[in-house]
Amino acid sequence: MIKYNQFQLANGLHVIHHFDDSTQLCVLNMLYNVGSKHENPDKTGFAHLFEHLMFGGSINIEEFDTVLQDASGDSNAFTSNDITNYYLTLPANNIETGFWLESDRMLGLDFSQESLDIQRSVVIEEFKERYLNQPYGDVWLKILPLAYKVHPYNWPTIGKEISHIENATLDDVKTFFKTFYCPNNAVLVLAGNLDLESCKLLVDKWFAPIPSQNCVKPNYSQEPKQSEARTETFYADVPLDMIVKAYHMPARTDENYFAADMLTDILGAGKSSRFYVDLVKNKNLFSELDAYISGDVEAGLLMIEGKLSRGVSMETAESAILSTLEDFKNNSISKSELTKIKNKSETNIRFNDMTVLNKAMKLAYAWVLGDIELVNTETDSYLKVTESEIKNIAKQILVPTNCSTLYYLSKQNDTK
Amino acid sequence: MTLNRKNSPDVVEIKSIYIKEAQENILSNSIKLYTINASNEEVIKIDFIFDAGSNVQKFKSEAYFTSKMLSEGTSKYSAAQLAEELDFYGAYFQTKNNAEEAIITLYCLNKHLTNCLPIIVEILTDSIFPENDLEILKKNAIQKLKVNEERNSYLVRSAFNEAVFGENTLYGSYSNITAIESIQQKQLVNFYKNHYQKGIKYILASGYVNNETIETINTNFGSNTFNVYDNLTYNYVAKDLEPADLYIDKSNSVQSAIRIGRRLFNRNHPDFREMQLLNLILGGYFGSRLMKNIREEKGLTYGIYSAIEAYPYDACWYIDTEMNNDLCETGIKEIYIELARLREELIEEKELNTAKNYLLGSFLRSIDGPFSLADRFKILKDFDLEYQYFYEFIEIIKNTTAERLKELANLYLKEEDLTSVIVGSKEI
Repeated sequence: MIKYNQFQLANGLHVIHHFDDSTQLCVLNMLYNVGSKHENPDKTGFAHLFEHLMFGGSINIEEFDTVLQDASGDSNAFTSNDITNYYLTLPANNIETGFWLESDRMLGLDFSQESLDIQRSVVIEEFKERYLNQPYGDVWLKILPLAYKVHPYNWPTIGKEISHIENATLDDVKTFFKTFYCPNNAVLVLAGNLDLESCKLLVDKWFAPIPSQNCVKPNYSQEPKQSEARTETFYADVPLDMIVKAYHMPARTDENYFAADMLTDILGAGKSSRFYVDLVKNKNLFSELDAYISGDVEAGLLMIEGKLSRGVSMETAESAILSTLEDFKNNSISKSELTKIKNKSETNIRFNDMTVLNKAMKLAYAWVLGDIELVNTETDSYLKVTESEIKNIAKQILVPTNCSTLYYLSKQNDTK
Repeated sequence: MTLNRKNSPDVVEIKSIYIKEAQENILSNSIKLYTINASNEEVIKIDFIFDAGSNVQKFKSEAYFTSKMLSEGTSKYSAAQLAEELDFYGAYFQTKNNAEEAIITLYCLNKHLTNCLPIIVEILTDSIFPENDLEILKKNAIQKLKVNEERNSYLVRSAFNEAVFGENTLYGSYSNITAIESIQQKQLVNFYKNHYQKGIKYILASGYVNNETIETINTNFGSNTFNVYDNLTYNYVAKDLEPADLYIDKSNSVQSAIRIGRRLFNRNHPDFREMQLLNLILGGYFGSRLMKNIREEKGLTYGIYSAIEAYPYDACWYIDTEMNNDLCETGIKEIYIELARLREELIEEKELNTAKNYLLGSFLRSIDGPFSLADRFKILKDFDLEYQYFYEFIEIIKNTTAERLKELANLYLKEEDLTSVIVGSKEI
């Protein structure tokens, strides 16, 4: 049970407070409700590039990091399809420095061509290091445009291609900031050893004077229902063949989301999962085979991905996955298998809720989903899922016409 | 009163730190159970420590495969049944083995502990290492190794460790396909007999731990089935190798992985904590000189850092980065310039203070929550230290002067002592 208080400033900034005196720390988490899905399709990777610029100094503070480090604090951020999330961790008695820093960069950034040039090249290096210079690093760059034809989830947060990042201009940056980085498009969470009274005073002092902006989100099209199986074959210099299957699944706020998540757990989580026992262990068709969900706010993807054991043909591997799925749809789930998955979900949630940072992020994300109480109803949402709900969602989504398949083949495999 | 946004709010220095210390409990059979009770959630993590690291193996990968095979079947249960049982209670079972020991870990909710522990007892006393499961594990391990060998970051790390510690030494030994293929079931059975069944070094439980929890652990692990076992006879001989410059060509690379460094001393050396501060200033945090110069000013890389890796018997220090093949030369030049600055110039007061404040803050974060506290305690055990080591840390860091850091740079960060390894392509 995560206890919290919430209030909203006149400028639209929503604030959530969670008190925990078992720690000597306090976390300040600022989530801006903007992600890569809000980008212009010809200027992708922008939300993430912008995240880098947020550390380059603001109106009154030249060096963000030095100020924070002087106060014994640390910070980082991440960008997803849906959101951009910034977090600062400080000794609780220095939390006001966090307020100063975070409010100043909401007030305005110190935009300079030089800082943009440098962060552009840092992000381009990141693109290469994480997506191009890693075996299988470009899988998401390949699978997303196959699965999404119109929805902006069709590019990864790093961007479609390096040229989009290269072409970002200072004007783009300024417009992006003005549109999205305003109090009325954000949620602030304070979690840790800071009482509610002090929290209110500090929030009021540092954030109330910041004016709200006219934040107009771009319109984008929803993905129409997929009606044909899609496939793509790709050769790369990797040691093992890989198969990736992406099925469209319900949004985070859909009642069937939890059933879909549990479906992937039954298939692929842990050494007693169906994929592991049958296809990795007994038949040894794969060296690894996983099932998971992308976890997006809007309708996302249910993913199955596996690396084939050497010598196994793609046809054999794929038909083994498909027959496991058919078997799943046509036969019952035992009571103990269902209990097992529920117990796993409960363990994951309890362990996640142990740090103030995780709790802060979870509260902020729940606000994006429209209901902060989701942080406390999550466990029950898993526990109450029934066998028939899981089977129904499986029958609904695990069908060929809802699937995009990537055959990622090894160039080195020619001699097998 | 108008809000002053020009100046920083008052900042309080970290003066003292409260560390929740581990309690020592003795099980009925004399095995020590250390407990850290510091959780609001009813969750628990239990580590079982065995004298079963790669230092006691006779052949490469023996220790690794023994730990990985523990849950692959006992005389009563198959691998699938064991996994099914543990998964049923929502528990996680993890094995890790390093140079000095094997650590078997159970994560679960307290309410399932009484059901989970007997399964762990089963695994730790009666594993049978089925031949067929071993063959599959070997095959999968070889395939994973092949993927790893495509990663420049893996190649640079292994080549560097081999170069500074010596090939096939405790800290410079990497598995290979031949070694994996030659592992036999009988070897694992023997290793299990000699390094698991002989006894447990100690147990460490963190999370929500009360008397009832301790009693449950005693019921399962306090009997005569288990003994205390800690083989203290291992004798490590460090090699003193000449520095080397290595280039490993990987023609399809876009970027090169670079690691530059040397062997160093570990936590038992009196200069260690001051070296942590020096390392931090060079490359240990976002505001470090390497990050500022090479990433934030020149945009040459996504990331660059330096680190001390301290092991119970040895240690190394290095700078690590990945950058475009054509930027490597510039990048490396800048690295050496930064090292020279540390040897030749005094660090300015302001920079030194920022680094000190940050380091103390990161220490505070490293003792937050039961699992972090357990990690800290484990460090004390690994290096045979007392909590005093951490309490002193604050004083030592606060009192370290710029002169002293320059002295350390001249002692330990000399260019002629450094080994460099580059994995990448010369084609641009």
